[in-house]
Amino acid sequence: MRVLLVYAHPCEESFAAAVRDRALASLSAAGHEVRLRDLYAEDFDPVLSAQDRRLYHTPDENERGVADHLADLRWCEALLFVYPTWWYGHPAILKGWLDRVWVPHATFRMPKDGKPIGRVLTNIRRIGAISLLGSPRWWWWLVGAPGRRILLTGLRVLCAPGCRTLWLAHHEMDASTPATRARFLDQASNRLARWLR
Amino acid sequence: MRVLVLYAHPDPESFGAALHRATVSALQGAGHAVDDCDLYAEEFDPVLPLAERRGYHDPASNRAPVARHVDRLMAAEALVLVYPVWNFGFPAILKGYLDRVFLPGVSFRLDEGRVRPNLRHLKALAAVTTYGGPRWRAALLGDPPRRLVGRVLRGLVHPRAAYRYLALYDMNRRSAADRATFLARVEHTLGAL
Repeated sequence: MRVLLVYAHPCEESFAAAVRDRALASLSAAGHEVRLRDLYAEDFDPVLSAQDRRLYHTPDENERGVADHLADLRWCEALLFVYPTWWYGHPAILKGWLDRVWVPHATFRMPKDGKPIGRVLTNIRRIGAISLLGSPRWWWWLVGAPGRRILLTGLRVLCAPGCRTLWLAHHEMDASTPATRARFLDQASNRLARWLR
Repeated sequence: MRVLVLYAHPDPESFGAALHRATVSALQGAGHAVDDCDLYAEEFDPVLPLAERRGYHDPASNRAPVARHVDRLMAAEALVLVYPVWNFGFPAILKGYLDRVFLPGVSFRLDEGRVRPNLRHLKALAAVTTYGGPRWRAALLGDPPRRLVGRVLRGLVHPRAAYRYLALYDMNRRSAADRATFLARVEHTLGAL
């Protein structure tokens, strides 16, 4: 399967980088074709400008500046995010990737005359996220698991019907140990394999 | 009161800009001193860089790169956010304000691994916002920005702080009259904060 991995963390020595590398290794070993978008490494600008905002609803013109990202979205069959959860959501650089790349016409059709949002990226049959959180699991759910729902519910309705989701989270990272992290990496490999079956 | 207004919309001709102007004028009209922080106009960089991530957990030095924003937040007695909801969340420029300015030792403290609120000096918290889609669609996702403000940020401010979440849903289908009604509601509510 063709997999687009969108990654957001500034530090190469972080556990997020280890998760990214494990994911890349497992996916390649299983014969999947992978493209990596490392948003920090490519210095992605997450700020939707006034000009972007004015052209937001104009077909084609709203793709300028993010055409290569849209090409990756049209290419992939599985979309995987690897990132730390900061303030219950995505790092700003990833939030801005959603704001700037997921534009109307190219990624969805606006709801009209009572009809719901129209799917465009029906090539995407898998959507998943692996995230690292400081908060305990119970508090994350009490806050409504916002980062998870934005991706796995919000984006999912724009992809293929029946799109299969994956969510894997390491909570309470500040109390993590080499053992919990090693277990988590193994879990990531196993879950990725099941998700892409 | 000293009120810090955090505003995030790029387009000065937008309804968001009108909400921002109404917010500031209503607060000033009620006698408050407004520190108007327009994140786009100030060209705030929302991306937490490598050095700040590495120094994140050191309260003695982590605020240095954003000291001016920390000072403004600490000098405020009330916080008002004005933003459009994009993709069920804050615009990246405002999300990054949380990432970079709401640091350990600033918005919260860690006492033996437990998170303690540290914005108790804020006696009021409000959000003024618009959603493109209808309320039921936001509710399907748990309305992330409403919970982020109403549960997370509200948990950091004074326990008896006044709290208002003023939201106009379904913006894509609203009439001029609906928008005018909402503007009036914002002026009235913030004028009485």
